[in-house]
Amino acid sequence: MGQRDRVSAAAWLVVRDAHAAEDIFQNVALKAMTKGAQFESGGALMSWAFITARREGIDWLRRRKNAPVCLDETILELLEQEWADEALGQAGGRSQALRDCLGELPAKSRDLLKRRYFDGHACEAVAEQLGTRLDAIYKRLSRLHQTLKKCIETKLEQPAG
Amino acid sequence: MALSEDQNELLLRHLNGQLGPSDEAKAAELLRGDAGARAFLRTVAEQAVVVADVERIGQHRPQPARVAAPVFRPWKWAVAVAAAFVLLAAFVIATTPPRHVAKVSAILGPCQFIAADGKVRDEVKVGTVLRVGDTIRTRSSSAWVKLDLNGGSLMTIAGRSRLRLLNVDGRRGFQLAYGNLWATVAQTAGAKLVSIQTPTATVEAEAAQFDVEAHSSTTIVRVNNGTANVVRLADGQAADVVADHLAVVAISRNRPFAATRQPEPVNQWNCRLHAGSGAVSGKWLPPDEKNSVRLGAIPLLIGKKTTLYVASFSVQCSSSPPVLIESGSRVRIRGTTQTDGPVYFGITTQRIKGVFFGKYTAKVGAGMLGQAGEPWQVEVPLSQFKPEAKHLPGSPAGMELSDIWIVSQDENAELEIHRVEFLPKEVGQ
Repeated sequence: MGQRDRVSAAAWLVVRDAHAAEDIFQNVALKAMTKGAQFESGGALMSWAFITARREGIDWLRRRKNAPVCLDETILELLEQEWADEALGQAGGRSQALRDCLGELPAKSRDLLKRRYFDGHACEAVAEQLGTRLDAIYKRLSRLHQTLKKCIETKLEQPAG
Repeated sequence: MALSEDQNELLLRHLNGQLGPSDEAKAAELLRGDAGARAFLRTVAEQAVVVADVERIGQHRPQPARVAAPVFRPWKWAVAVAAAFVLLAAFVIATTPPRHVAKVSAILGPCQFIAADGKVRDEVKVGTVLRVGDTIRTRSSSAWVKLDLNGGSLMTIAGRSRLRLLNVDGRRGFQLAYGNLWATVAQTAGAKLVSIQTPTATVEAEAAQFDVEAHSSTTIVRVNNGTANVVRLADGQAADVVADHLAVVAISRNRPFAATRQPEPVNQWNCRLHAGSGAVSGKWLPPDEKNSVRLGAIPLLIGKKTTLYVASFSVQCSSSPPVLIESGSRVRIRGTTQTDGPVYFGITTQRIKGVFFGKYTAKVGAGMLGQAGEPWQVEVPLSQFKPEAKHLPGSPAGMELSDIWIVSQDENAELEIHRVEFLPKEVGQ
């Protein structure tokens, strides 16, 4: 689950569309299975998955008009490397903790995240829908992301059981 | 280092795609130099996909069903079934992508069609349709086949080439096992990417004009228009090759892999047989007293009872810049034959930075070759080369030279080649 989220997240950073990122992850998983590729280690598999997801993401962008400006490939590579460097075992725990933390958010906060990331609305559209200023949306999103991050860290620090 | 709220917001604005160029540069600079910024971006990305995942699952969770006793009304059922059928048919028609096929639109020389079910046809006609799994081979240096793909795209394979249609998810897949291919991929609504696999690379393009030369350990991709994405299979490295650039994709990871600008054309070429890089068909023979480099012709079975003996030489494989053919250009070959029979010189041409153009051949009679067994050096002016197809102009002047080949029809000739040159017009011509 954790690795899946990371590969999808890497694709999302290219395409900025959660549904497309999910499709890309599915394609990458399918390729890994149908190609019968042999990987020397879990790290090698993840490196291949990140590169493949990035390529699929760039293909997806090319097929769309008005696609967002993609990050420089050197930055994407750095981000992927840092994802790959994180201990493989941590990912599953973080993923579940994030899901738990989302469940604990107030309904208004959850609604904001849903509009932005599930419905895929730009921040301007979300501000208009909620009748608030654009700056306020960015501030709320920024704090929400930090809150979720802290929540995850707290949950991971708690002893299991 | 912890980021300030302003920096977080800058990154969120970047993700929203609304930053101006100077702020984009600022965000890129921040991401390059600050691990904390990258950590924040990764956090946002992970949270974004998990939010979507959680919402997706929530929306698909089964809702408590409301139970109502059904009332059976036959006419309503009939209407519903008919409507469902129409909708289904419309959906199937609307969502079925155009099938991945390639239709032979022009052909010359010996070719072979190998159907996906294993049936082999040695005669291929214009109009033959290739489907996924089918293979087409051009079997001699002078052969070529032009294929019309769905959506206005075109492909030509020529010389000794083998192309198969593949079932690649979401793409129009091809496998170029060996040989030369010229592709014009048109961007049309609903058309899928073209994906070409060679022994060492995958080449993908959505809208581009490019050519590919594939051998067992090297692939050369030249892009003349648009962009092609090239992946080196040895290590998964990828590069976008843009117009006027080329990439050499070796099987070895130690060889450099990057798109480089295509060099400017020159008007002469020596295939560098000493370096061993320009020959693409033939077998190396041990040096003898007279010649340190000897390439023997190899047999090519081009039909049930026809074998040719061929040595061929590629401009691209010799790492040469493109070679421009001028009206006074000459082909000079040095070699030996052991019998008093003719040999044939041939050239393959393409448009400058463009598509396949055509083949031209010249017969070199026994009289020009001198005494059997003795080395000969023959210079054939461009004017003596004749087009191999009716639609071609008499001269390929103004085109680009792709390769040169030398053919004998006689096994006992033991044709061997010692030097291959393409010379500019003589001064004063």
